[in-house]
Amino acid sequence: MRWLTFLVVLVLAGGLAVPGIAQQKLKAGFVYVGPIGDYGWTHAHDFARKIAEKKLPWLETIYVEKVPEGQTESFIDKLILQGARVIFTTSFGFMDGTLAAAKRYPNHIFAHASGFKRAPNVATYMADFYQVYYLNGLMAGAATKSGKVGYVGAFPIPEVKRHMGAFALGVRAVNPKATVHVRWIYEWFNPTAAKEATEALIAEGADVFAFTEDTPTVVQVAAKRGLPSFGHYSPMHKFAPKHMISGQLVHWDKIYVDFLSKVYAGKYTAENLANVDYWWLLAEGAAELGGEFGMPVNPEWKARLQAVKVGTPDLGRLSVYDLVMKRLAQMSDPKVTFEPFTGPIKDRKGVLRVQSGKRMTVGELNGMEWAAPGIVGPWPKEP
Amino acid sequence: MLEWILTAIVRALAVSTPLLWASLGEIYAERSGVINLGVEGMMILGALFAFVVAQVTGYPVAGLLAAAAAGGLAALLHAFVSITLRANQYVSGLALTMLGLGLAGVLGRGWEGIPLLNALPEISGLTYLGLLLAVGLWLVLHHTRLGMVIRSTGESPAAAEALGVNVHLVRYLCVVFGGTMAGVAGGFLSVAYRPSWTEGMTAGLGWIAIAITIFAGWDPLKAVGGALFFGALFHLSFRLQAWVPPEALRMMPFAFTILVLAATSGRRRGRGAPEALGLPYAAGER
Repeated sequence: MRWLTFLVVLVLAGGLAVPGIAQQKLKAGFVYVGPIGDYGWTHAHDFARKIAEKKLPWLETIYVEKVPEGQTESFIDKLILQGARVIFTTSFGFMDGTLAAAKRYPNHIFAHASGFKRAPNVATYMADFYQVYYLNGLMAGAATKSGKVGYVGAFPIPEVKRHMGAFALGVRAVNPKATVHVRWIYEWFNPTAAKEATEALIAEGADVFAFTEDTPTVVQVAAKRGLPSFGHYSPMHKFAPKHMISGQLVHWDKIYVDFLSKVYAGKYTAENLANVDYWWLLAEGAAELGGEFGMPVNPEWKARLQAVKVGTPDLGRLSVYDLVMKRLAQMSDPKVTFEPFTGPIKDRKGVLRVQSGKRMTVGELNGMEWAAPGIVGPWPKEP
Repeated sequence: MLEWILTAIVRALAVSTPLLWASLGEIYAERSGVINLGVEGMMILGALFAFVVAQVTGYPVAGLLAAAAAGGLAALLHAFVSITLRANQYVSGLALTMLGLGLAGVLGRGWEGIPLLNALPEISGLTYLGLLLAVGLWLVLHHTRLGMVIRSTGESPAAAEALGVNVHLVRYLCVVFGGTMAGVAGGFLSVAYRPSWTEGMTAGLGWIAIAITIFAGWDPLKAVGGALFFGALFHLSFRLQAWVPPEALRMMPFAFTILVLAATSGRRRGRGAPEALGLPYAAGER
């Protein structure tokens, strides 16, 4: 009889203890646009989700992948049914679906990546790369022999145009005569198209490559021909250990950890998010220079970049390698003492786009449609 | 200018290789009367298995054999459902595409983002073998008894049956053959063209292969022209972007398919589809 009592007590204790622990946990749901194995955008978000889960012992996460933009709401419903209190939607196209769902779930917390619409329970967040693209542009300008740099873009939207613009400004800062040749593939994820776009650029004489799309294709194709490139989003160094000079790396986890910690602490609630907009760059640690975490420039390329000297208005004459490191330090400084989009900047048609001494605002960067000088190729919606 | 054309031809050859292999297989399946819309699914399974086996064994050719087996097995499923169970061929094929894409995605989880060290060159034996196969398959189809048996199964299975042909067996063999060809086409993508594995990496090439089947009028020789043409279009859609709006170039393969369909649909015999294409067959039926 005694053991039975013991068992009953044990079961009761367990039954009481489990919800007690469960209440301590915060469940966050992630809505992804691509497969988590895309090795680009979605891969990076999922990587960050796992880091956040590891760092925050009270955090529990669930996710849905390959969500069509038109079905945002039903997938949010699914996550909420599974107990998620915080929902992250990680694609621009999820914007309206997120806002609509947020209206139906006024007590849940939402955060939408790369969008611009907010609500009392919807925040926005973005880790942007344009500063890192500028640094890569500096190196590309030094690395090109033909004076033609190739760039494969996904869609001609402001985000990609901003990346290309910053990249082209960097290229021209080192190599004023070089041009950046653009090809669009009109898809975020299509390795075959990315490959043929790269081949087309190679055939036209481009000898250094950068890109904004979701696969390591460009890096691989370039390396096969012995040509240098810059990675994008995920650590792609291993795809071309000799040929990848550098690249952009993202740390969405910095944003996720910060945001979720504030939710957990009660600082962010379902009522006070209307002005919460994360626009995190190098200084916040959301972006990193490099093709591999902790390696800003491939050691194979260090000497070659040190051999190229360039004159600058503020730092005098120095090697491209030193220039990259200086600019990186300036932009990583919380005061951000250097900005690529600082006027005067004319677009490729000669129209003054940024007034002398002015920096582009976040709003202007988010709506940027003009092409920086040196960019060659089709540019839909060019003003 | 010469260099411009030369590089374009080389690129067209590279892109057309998987298109040719997949469409040759589909031509045989359809000639026997079974349409298989699962090409994309069989290709992606081929791509995954080719990559995994090539990576593990170090031999890309072993990878291609695995791709052929994977494609053939996937096709066997379609054959069973659409020939033995006599289900709707279109539905079964579409289901196979979805199944293949999903299955390859799940199975391939651990293989993402790994470069393949022992890769085949892009313009490799597969390209030339594809061209040879096209000639061989054309000869078989039009100048041998076996070819006649296959064509009669697709045109009039009842008549073929009356002449002692085992319609189900012929269809099974043709569908499975089609699957192995699609599997190799996918394998080419992951061990030669890319070379690495990424989920969804076929990105619609299987559908273009089906379009070529129609475009070529179910003729293996014309499929060579079709594959080269579509391969060239695909490459040129990036090459010509500086002069022609990229949106227009990207839709060209599909626009051409519709045009050809419209132009050929009036004529029944010769260029048209096999008469019994898409119709399930039971022995003794008319």
